[in-house]
Amino acid sequence: MAETENEVEVLVQRVVKDINNAFKRNPNIDEIGLIPCPEVRYNRSPIVLVENKLGVESWCVKYLLPYVHNKLLLYRQRKQWLDREALVDITCTLLLLNPDFTTAWNVRKELLQCGALSPERDLYLGKLALTKFPKSPETWIHRRWILQQVLRECSSPGPDRKDQGDGDRHDAAEKTRLSEHLHRVLYEEMKVCADAAGRYPSNYNAWSHRIWVLQNMAPGNLQVLHDELSSMRQWVSMHVSDHSGFHYRQFLLKALVRELSQSLSSSSSPQHYHPQPSSNPSHSPHKANPLHQANGEATAAAPCPSPHSPEDLASMPALPQLFHQEVELCTDLIKSFPGHETLWCHRRHVFYLWHHWRRDHHYGQGFGSESPHLNHTDAGLSSHPHTACPGGVGLDRVQRRNGQAQEGQDAMEVDGVGVPDPRDTKRLKRGPPGPCPPALPSEHSFIASVLDSCRSPEQGRFALAYRKWLDSVIGQ
Amino acid sequence: MGTQVKDVVIKSDAPSALLLDKHADYIAAYGSKKDDYEYTLSEYLRMSGIYWGLTVMDLMGQLTRMNQQEISDFIKSCQHDCGGISASIGHDPHVLYTLSAVQILSLYDNVNVLDVDKMVEYVRGLQQEDGSFAGDKWGEIDTRFSFCAVATLALLGRLDAINMDKAVEFVLSCMNFDGGFGCRPGSESHAGQIYCCTGFLSIAGQLHQVNADLLGWWLCERQLPSGGLNGRPEKLPDVCYSWWVLASLKIIGRIHWIDKSKLRSFILACQDEETGGFADRPGDMVDPFHTLFGVAGLSLLGEGQIKDVNPVLCMPEDVLERLGLHPDLLS
Repeated sequence: MAETENEVEVLVQRVVKDINNAFKRNPNIDEIGLIPCPEVRYNRSPIVLVENKLGVESWCVKYLLPYVHNKLLLYRQRKQWLDREALVDITCTLLLLNPDFTTAWNVRKELLQCGALSPERDLYLGKLALTKFPKSPETWIHRRWILQQVLRECSSPGPDRKDQGDGDRHDAAEKTRLSEHLHRVLYEEMKVCADAAGRYPSNYNAWSHRIWVLQNMAPGNLQVLHDELSSMRQWVSMHVSDHSGFHYRQFLLKALVRELSQSLSSSSSPQHYHPQPSSNPSHSPHKANPLHQANGEATAAAPCPSPHSPEDLASMPALPQLFHQEVELCTDLIKSFPGHETLWCHRRHVFYLWHHWRRDHHYGQGFGSESPHLNHTDAGLSSHPHTACPGGVGLDRVQRRNGQAQEGQDAMEVDGVGVPDPRDTKRLKRGPPGPCPPALPSEHSFIASVLDSCRSPEQGRFALAYRKWLDSVIGQ
Repeated sequence: MGTQVKDVVIKSDAPSALLLDKHADYIAAYGSKKDDYEYTLSEYLRMSGIYWGLTVMDLMGQLTRMNQQEISDFIKSCQHDCGGISASIGHDPHVLYTLSAVQILSLYDNVNVLDVDKMVEYVRGLQQEDGSFAGDKWGEIDTRFSFCAVATLALLGRLDAINMDKAVEFVLSCMNFDGGFGCRPGSESHAGQIYCCTGFLSIAGQLHQVNADLLGWWLCERQLPSGGLNGRPEKLPDVCYSWWVLASLKIIGRIHWIDKSKLRSFILACQDEETGGFADRPGDMVDPFHTLFGVAGLSLLGEGQIKDVNPVLCMPEDVLERLGLHPDLLS
């Protein structure tokens, strides 16, 4: 059945209006989808709104998309004028069907710049598009641009003071409001990323966006880093193939290492906030200003202020404990889910971070565990039956953050006690809190125990690859 | 109890012979139905689509079947006042399509239909203070764009237009502990990004900064039992990674670390005997993107019927020879 141009035009205009009315009627739409419905039905709207789900019947899409697509391009080439409202409606329809259409997002950027759109609206539109297209690169890219506008807004000088007298109070209140706003935006981004990560396995774009958000909206923020590490534990345990999810934990650990190490080095003047070395892409509009935060004021420049107050540091787990927990998580998962390359990659990465931190901070200086006679060929030495980490003096010293743990550390290494044998977990939990961070002998011991007990050829293969990696990359 | 490793199983009746004529027919006919809904959906990357089609035709010695004049006119109408090129008429300019346009016109030795100086200015203007490159005026940073920028300028003989030291510094800041590269500092290693960064470093003459053994190891771990390559751990194999991974290995001088014959079998199995073209993996729908990278991958593996492809620029070597371009490769 051939449709006249006019019929198509009428249909499309109606559909575009129906879509946009649906949003007006229900501002809580949280998912979009295509409804398989190949039969053309001119008399009924192909737009279906059920609860908070917006559906488009598939039959209309082949008319709808080319029409709105070409209309937008005619506008872009200045061959046909479209007013702001029409542009908003058309780009919305287009992007829900084809969110990789870069130019359509750019039109919306311009609309935002002239005040015809709010950032919230495009964050919402993007969120919807991601329910159907969780990888869409252009959607994530547009999102980052929007967030940069939000950041810029939040750090620009406050509104004109009407009353000079109230100026200070007004400023402080304004700063708090902005900080809370950014905090909400930040957590909303975490949620959007988590949803998209759940909709597509190992979603590189979702996770790299998540990292970008932390780097740009909460640089060096210990609380956020730590919260994220905690909250992601369960997620990764249920997605053991998700390499991007585990990489995110590696990113968090690395950032925590960086922040906590700096605090260590400035521990003589706890009130000082030292600027971090730039691991953040410096295209971020903000560079954290080194400001004293002793008076508790948020800095104007740092979006989510990250004061390293003594209280914060005291409430943070020590690095050895963080590493111990991460290795323990990794061990549990490796044993529960044999043959997952992702888990072994994660182990490599975590060990690497720990190994280098120890080396850089002279933690356990001069310990001989990495001398040749304690490599994996000396299985006898390193496969002592593991007991729970000794409590008492040795552990206390390991827990201290200022590098005085040397003696305790040496004792642990030579005894071949590192990561506790998982069979002793119960005993360990009853004992004093004892971080037993990884060490080469214990890692080789772990590999040996996996090889002994594994029945999966892949698991064996990955364990051997890990051993080879330890020997080549670490044990030099 | 074994875990099923994420991989495909190649059926015994999968294609095992190279069907070049079918592929040439597929590409020559692609897009002839211009009102197609699918075609509209992909218009936002049309310039790259044309580059994929033309390059694979040239590699197969069939470039003459394409309409040079029509394509040149099209590209000309995609250059904007700012000097940048868009994916199609009326779309916004971007460095991705600027590179594709220059690659296409280089095949035809016809770059001067464009305002080259303006284009160089456009690319120069995308470089940021930290050496990184934005994709367009809106500011997204990605190592892919660093590659696009230097590849474009290299083809034009204008690498002096940018701050190369800073550009190198940024790319190196994206190197990870596993020797790989991500899209920005701190991002996960990804075979596509690795291709862009090693390609970038090749053009910049800085390949010695790569840890070739470490990266080579990560790259050859991409090979799965089926012979195919994935882009990251625990992902399915995809024929386009036969390009991103293989080219990277070639650039860093470690291509012998891959089981070549198993990879060849996988790539051939991705052909569609009926329609021509290659799909991402055996049995899936074909498209020009995977067709180029399947053929280019076979070229890197030494397939006699296909022209030699340059691993840095993914263009026929004879074209680069004409331009006098010999990007570094590690041995």
